[in-house]
Amino acid sequence: MARQSPRGVVHAMQSVRSTTSLRAFLSQRSAAPAYIIPGASLSTRTQQWKNARGYATEVQPAAPEIDFAKFHTQPTRIIPRSPAYFSGSPKFIDHLLRLEDILAKYVSLPTVSAAEAPRKAWFKLPQFRDVVGEPIATKKYKGLLKLLQRLNRIDPNLMPKAVRLSLDDFIRPGNPYGNKPAPATVDNLGRARGKGKRKASSAVVHLVEGNGEVLVNGKTLVEAFPRVHDRESATWALRCTARLDKYNVWVAVRGGGTTGQAEAITLALGRALMVHEPALKPTLRKAGVITVDRRRVERKKPGHVKARKMPTWVKR
Amino acid sequence: MVSSFCWSCLTRLRQTPRTVLPSPTAVPRGPAFHTSAVRFFPNPMMRKKPGQELGGPKYRQSKSARMKKKKPVDGKARPPPVGERKALRKRIVLSNPNALEVEGMQELTEETMVDSRLRGNVLALPVPMLDQLRAVQAFKPKQGWSIFRRPGTVLRRETLEMGRLFDNISGVGEDKGTAVKKIITGSRKSGKSVHLLQAMAMAFTKKWVVFTVPEAQDLVSATTGYGPLSDENPNLYVQNEATASLLSRTLIANKTILSKLQVSRIHPALSAVQPGMTLENLAKFGVQDPASSWAVFQALWAELTATSATTGLEKNFTPRPPILVTVDGLAHWMRNSEYRTTEFEPIHAHDLVFVRHFLSLLKPGKDESTLPNGGALLYATSTSNNPSIYSFEVALKQVAARHAGVDPSAPEFPKLDPYSNPDSRVLEAFISTKPTSAQEGMLEVQTIGGVSRDEARGFMEYFARSGLLRETVNDEWVGEKWTLAGGGVIGELERLGRRLRVAAA
Amino acid sequence: MVFILGVNFPERNLVAKSLQGFFGVGGLTSARLLSRFHIHPTCKVGELANKQVLDLTAALSDMKIENDLRRQVLDDIKRLKETGTYRGRRHALGLPARGQRTRTQIKTAVKQNRIERRL
Repeated sequence: MARQSPRGVVHAMQSVRSTTSLRAFLSQRSAAPAYIIPGASLSTRTQQWKNARGYATEVQPAAPEIDFAKFHTQPTRIIPRSPAYFSGSPKFIDHLLRLEDILAKYVSLPTVSAAEAPRKAWFKLPQFRDVVGEPIATKKYKGLLKLLQRLNRIDPNLMPKAVRLSLDDFIRPGNPYGNKPAPATVDNLGRARGKGKRKASSAVVHLVEGNGEVLVNGKTLVEAFPRVHDRESATWALRCTARLDKYNVWVAVRGGGTTGQAEAITLALGRALMVHEPALKPTLRKAGVITVDRRRVERKKPGHVKARKMPTWVKR
Repeated sequence: MVSSFCWSCLTRLRQTPRTVLPSPTAVPRGPAFHTSAVRFFPNPMMRKKPGQELGGPKYRQSKSARMKKKKPVDGKARPPPVGERKALRKRIVLSNPNALEVEGMQELTEETMVDSRLRGNVLALPVPMLDQLRAVQAFKPKQGWSIFRRPGTVLRRETLEMGRLFDNISGVGEDKGTAVKKIITGSRKSGKSVHLLQAMAMAFTKKWVVFTVPEAQDLVSATTGYGPLSDENPNLYVQNEATASLLSRTLIANKTILSKLQVSRIHPALSAVQPGMTLENLAKFGVQDPASSWAVFQALWAELTATSATTGLEKNFTPRPPILVTVDGLAHWMRNSEYRTTEFEPIHAHDLVFVRHFLSLLKPGKDESTLPNGGALLYATSTSNNPSIYSFEVALKQVAARHAGVDPSAPEFPKLDPYSNPDSRVLEAFISTKPTSAQEGMLEVQTIGGVSRDEARGFMEYFARSGLLRETVNDEWVGEKWTLAGGGVIGELERLGRRLRVAAA
Repeated sequence: MVFILGVNFPERNLVAKSLQGFFGVGGLTSARLLSRFHIHPTCKVGELANKQVLDLTAALSDMKIENDLRRQVLDDIKRLKETGTYRGRRHALGLPARGQRTRTQIKTAVKQNRIERRL
């Protein structure tokens, strides 16, 4: 056997240890009627050896009394700390049991609705697997999450410290819900910035108060969009709120075709306008300006002629 | 429902003859375990009758609606006569009897063309002048004249400025007899050609002589005849037909003026021309005999730019009127033409004497003004639809800088890219130093952009009053259209005005 | 109708196109001929001056076109064959003469590569 499994090594070690202790025990027994505990065997031996060298003719002192109580508490095999040791995922089950205990303890506390409960970013399953270092089934983890959510719904004002601390163990580091984007504001030069995307185009709009001039990539609206329909859709956000002659628009738009660019500008312009006048949001929503059209061209797949089209069926 | 299934009829049912029931051989049967109906397949052995399609499914057949195939066009149909299609394409309709007549519409006259109170109004072109304008081909086919009752143009800021300029040149003040030289640029549909049209109309009201080149491209696209100017200078080329047509344009448009002026110089190149004959007859020579047209044109030009007669012919001399020269599409003259030399090398446009003459007018004259009797040179070029010639672009920037007073050695003076391959002849053509004569203006570049909101409003109201637009024209509505038209580009405004008519109907 | 080198051309035809009717005059030769006599490319036959017609006829008669050219081509092929060159042999066999593959696509060679080539 060139390689031994870890378990094999452990077994071997245990057998060696047991045999040495047994051997010492036997030899001691033959020399002197004394029990030697395995841990102390070395020190007593050296002592014996020293004594034998210094005072060979002196009478040997008697071995200490055997403390039977101590002798019996020493187990013959290692007892795992957790009762779930042999379950395959002991740490996970410990966590689960702990949470269940807590829940059972505090189940009577008043709860709030799920929407009002503070939003927490629990560990994702792969992350949690790394933390506990055990394979955990998806379904079991879902059960754990359910428990966590239930505990999280306890009224924040009445939540015991124990619950809070134990919930904190399951929050993934970095708290992604904590960093929210700063609300957009008009900068010191009076510009509001808005971004929008549609199809393959993306537009950035800078909106300032003015008299209705529009520049798209440094060109006038007419040069940028020869089609009147595109011009109308690009300025639709201002048109439907009757603000066309109150702002100047400066747009940088890239990618895609004319339609995509025009409609990307619509979205970006709507967002920039909401920075200037947040009260317009319902109007813009109704006009369909700030609704994101997130459709993109579906990718072509191997074996297909297009995204979904199959090659024509040939009999032979 | 009941009647079809009454018990008494059941008795009759039994007596149904067997032949009516489908025979087991006629209808194909599916296997006994099939519950669904079996489709009827025609017997493959039976030949299909032509024109009779049976309902069996065909594999790999498109399910889309089948269009009827077009019948092949009968080969015997004669094509339209030569020139008819081109005439249709180039046809210019100036009046639409269905359009409403706009009440109180003012005409372009000497008074109205300088009246700044009328700014933003649409001024009609006087009806007698239309023939003259047609003769100089001032109208272009796609300018939308055919949607109104009578042709009219907006009196915009640039027009008023030009009107004042023309008024001063024709007037008696200190500006009398000055020469104005302008290159007009602007994006597509911004109204450059109409600006030239307005200039022509004003020139006709002021009794100027008008020379026009309505399409500069036609001179260089190798569609008219050409030949070497003479044996002495074989590298210069003359285009006789194009010159003759220029003469005929000028002749028809300026008949009344030319018939009053007389030849007051001796023209050795033209033996038939006698002193004392009218300039009208002089021009007719050129029209009738294209071979001598270039000499005639030179003679005519010399007569019109004369400030005094040669000795002995004073009785024939009357003061010459100012001249307006317009060229549309200048950029086409800034590169090689489509013509070829005898060695099959391309001929540069500047080697065509016609082009060379009109470009030489841009330079200041040596001793006296190039237009000693005053007048204007208006050369238009587009910034959108034209050949992109790097040297020309730089030359225009340099002209603008020079006019603004930037010293050519100054660092902010527009320079050529050192790695470009510039056309030195183009740059050379626009180097215009400060004119020696006080009567001569410096060459300048005028950019025509969009109209202002007020002018746009006037224009849109004109649409509404012509019955094309069924909207209430208010400031908000005009402002919206003004933005959609890219800041009041007038051609786009016209498009929007037309488009709404369809949407409202 | 205008006679150029003894051939009658209708007046409405383009000169450039009409010249290409002669065997041995293609697009480039025709364009070069036109530029030699200052005829613009869109000129119709009817618009030609008499002198230009004469010039064209004179220029064409100096060129090796029509039957002279045909004869020369045939002579060249014959010479190749008689000197026993590879190209001559290929012409005789009706096979491609310039090293093309012969497994497929030799219809043109079969049609054209002959000793008595039809021109």
